Amino acid sequence: MFYQTRLRTITLILALGFLAVYASFGSYFAREIVIEITILAILAISLDFCAGFGGMVSLCHGAIMGISAYAFTIMSVKLGLPSVPSAMIGLMAAVVFSGLVGWVTARTSGIFFIMATLAFGQMAYTFFFKSRWLGGDDGMGGIDRFNLSWLGVDMNDALVFALFGVAVLLLVYVIAAILLRSGFGRILSGIHSNENRMQAVGINTANHKAMAMAASGLMAGIAGILAAQHTLYISPELLIWTVSGEVLLVVILGGIGTLIGPVVGAIMLVMLKHELSNYTDYWHMVVGMVLIFAVLAGGRGIFGQIEYWLITRHSPKTPHLPPAKEKDLA
Amino acid sequence: MLEVKHLSKDFGGITVIRDLSFTVNAGERRVILGPNGAGKTTLFHLLTGVEKASSGSISFAGKNISKMNAVERARVGIARSYQKNNLFEHLTIRENLMLAAAAATGKSRWFFRDVINQADMKTRIEETAEQVALTDQLDLMVSAVSYGNRRQLEVGLALATKPALLLMDEPTSGVGPAMIDTFHQLLETLPRDITILIIEHDMDLAFSIADRITVLNFGEKVFEGTPEDTRGNPTVRQIYLGGGDGTYGATNDHA
Amino acid sequence: MDASFWLLQFLNAMQYSMLLFLLSIGLTVIFGLMHFVNLAHASLYMLGAYFGISVSALTGQFWLAFILSPIIVTLIGAILYYTLIDRMRAAGPMNQVLVTFGLIFVILDLVRLGWGDIALGLDAPDALAHTVSFWGISYPAYRLFIIALGLTIMISMWVVLARTQIGAMIRASVENADMAASLGIHVGRLFFVVFCFGCALAGLAGVAAAPIFSATTTMGITILIPTLIVVVIGGLGSLEGAIAGSLIIGFLETFGAVLLPSLSAVLTYILLAVILVLRPQGLIPARG
Repeated sequence: MFYQTRLRTITLILALGFLAVYASFGSYFAREIVIEITILAILAISLDFCAGFGGMVSLCHGAIMGISAYAFTIMSVKLGLPSVPSAMIGLMAAVVFSGLVGWVTARTSGIFFIMATLAFGQMAYTFFFKSRWLGGDDGMGGIDRFNLSWLGVDMNDALVFALFGVAVLLLVYVIAAILLRSGFGRILSGIHSNENRMQAVGINTANHKAMAMAASGLMAGIAGILAAQHTLYISPELLIWTVSGEVLLVVILGGIGTLIGPVVGAIMLVMLKHELSNYTDYWHMVVGMVLIFAVLAGGRGIFGQIEYWLITRHSPKTPHLPPAKEKDLA
Repeated sequence: MLEVKHLSKDFGGITVIRDLSFTVNAGERRVILGPNGAGKTTLFHLLTGVEKASSGSISFAGKNISKMNAVERARVGIARSYQKNNLFEHLTIRENLMLAAAAATGKSRWFFRDVINQADMKTRIEETAEQVALTDQLDLMVSAVSYGNRRQLEVGLALATKPALLLMDEPTSGVGPAMIDTFHQLLETLPRDITILIIEHDMDLAFSIADRITVLNFGEKVFEGTPEDTRGNPTVRQIYLGGGDGTYGATNDHA
Repeated sequence: MDASFWLLQFLNAMQYSMLLFLLSIGLTVIFGLMHFVNLAHASLYMLGAYFGISVSALTGQFWLAFILSPIIVTLIGAILYYTLIDRMRAAGPMNQVLVTFGLIFVILDLVRLGWGDIALGLDAPDALAHTVSFWGISYPAYRLFIIALGLTIMISMWVVLARTQIGAMIRASVENADMAASLGIHVGRLFFVVFCFGCALAGLAGVAAAPIFSATTTMGITILIPTLIVVVIGGLGSLEGAIAGSLIIGFLETFGAVLLPSLSAVLTYILLAVILVLRPQGLIPARG
């Protein structure tokens, strides 16, 4: 069940603040890192939405992001449509794909669901990899960023784009929070808790889960648009299973089911990656070991564990975010 | 209100329910009695749509619901409490009731408005909590309350959907005598706009709240009548005691 | 497209199906028995290929590699069992997936560390490095060997499961592990034996596949997906399901690639989607 507690709001403000400051006062390289973090964080929020709150642990979110990026690029580069409508179509493609995956897998759960998403993600990857029209594994370039000159800013400036990313991250967080606090989101959490009982009180859980995947896909699609506009170039690499694996790690590392945890996880992972890439070529091994360790250590993630300690200090009987007591902000 | 006609259910060669017919009137309190294996829980599965009948029909409020699935039947107003607790774990009692209430009031399509603090949800949650005597425990986690309280919540979840037909599967299963009194209270105070079917093993409770009793044995209806008639019926006594004096021992076995 | 074309494709399909079978049977029985999904199963296949290449390079003997490689992989599997897998058995499916998924990443980079990023080849043994002519076609003897190997293992497993005591113990434990334990079956030991056997098969499949596919760092994930699809389509936990699934996917992919090349990439996924919607428990699940 999702609650926007004081601790979470403080963490959100700190995280976004850190990113904005780091981009503003850091080097060009810092801005690149911030953009990378925001894209990963948005993707991680989208995954936490369906996995942490809906129990649907997907291994195809990288592919969803990639599909949005490709659709956007096809529309804007290949067909010459302006950026904003192209982006809308990109998002729609992500929503349709993830909604379909959600619908097809709705009657399965747990391990079947995970395996199926892995398969469908790989299917998407293979499709783009083999498509000569879309550049195959060479990918496509020539992408333009949104034109915000009417605001007096130049999106081609790394700082502007980085701050734009941070703003979009905040927007996605708010969208996710609103959805999770709504009837739709509460029922989703209910399905995660006890799908059978949810059916018994009259919810078509298969449809609900499909819609949740579609909503998650929308947010992942936003990450895809940003990713395409960041590097101004896309390739099937976006859809490789390792990307989906990394975003799952980010969610676990930060704290699954906390919504802000994944943002923290994204910051930590990207910073770690850039530190370590100076020392090692074997980043995958690090990802794998961190993932294994995070699970063996209890699976709550860094933010999740901190939150847990703080809550159980107060009231051991209800190690759960007290709904009525904490100020439900906004 | 509820009409069951020639209902049968086979599970690959074993007939669990055989040519069962009965009618329950609106507002009635009907107790289903029967020894183990009599098919009582299976009957509930058939009524709620969890299992499909092999033959026969079920009508509810004048409509034939035999072809409806479990979700559709819940939507027409049939709710159920389970013999084994089927709660929303890792959540508070308030959240549990909220989920049931939200489901029943069409909140699953509310994408933007907050549900927990919404007015008619709060009212419904508090009313249901009062009905099942859980008002003081609303903000406790399900895991933090007693088994008896969890049984109360089990019924509360069904009640929160404001059903027209409530099926209660051994609500007092496993609870102590004090809690049985609480359930007695609960059942007495439930409004008559809910029709109730109860599977019960506690004979005192069953006989005191029933308007009529239907007795099943080996999947067939062997008797139906008022509590007094049931108590005095030789076939019924035979089933329970192998002939005897009309007193009953409590059994902890499951249907 | 004459008869020889169909025969060739049939043999290719059979060979691919046998490889899929060797991998999927281990995965599915381990799940059916232990309720544990080991996503790193295909990584063991990859290790089998690489170890096979190393042993063969060291000793110049294919057959030595063929025997030693599965043994090495089994040892690795046993170590994984005692350090990680056994501990995760009680954890929920998601945690098992996460841990074994993490293992995929780790093993991937360990292979890169040990053998580099370039594809490595393995020559078929001299005894099988020729083609066999029959019925109007010429077909590599080595591939016929793979088909024979797969069929032999398939039939042996059938016999073991259906006719021997250990087979009965396995079937009973798949059906109901608690009940089996209370009948005196050492379920824990059984799990370990079955797990190791699954690893051995994966390693064997790897070294057997090396002469055909060569060893690459992506071979694990490349075969993992079809293997998972086989397991989901066939039904978790059953030998018959693994056989059916392997044959279906093997034939679908092989014939699809030659008859409908543009569609072939998505054919298996369409089938997966159809099964998930219409029969999510798989075609022949172990338990009803």
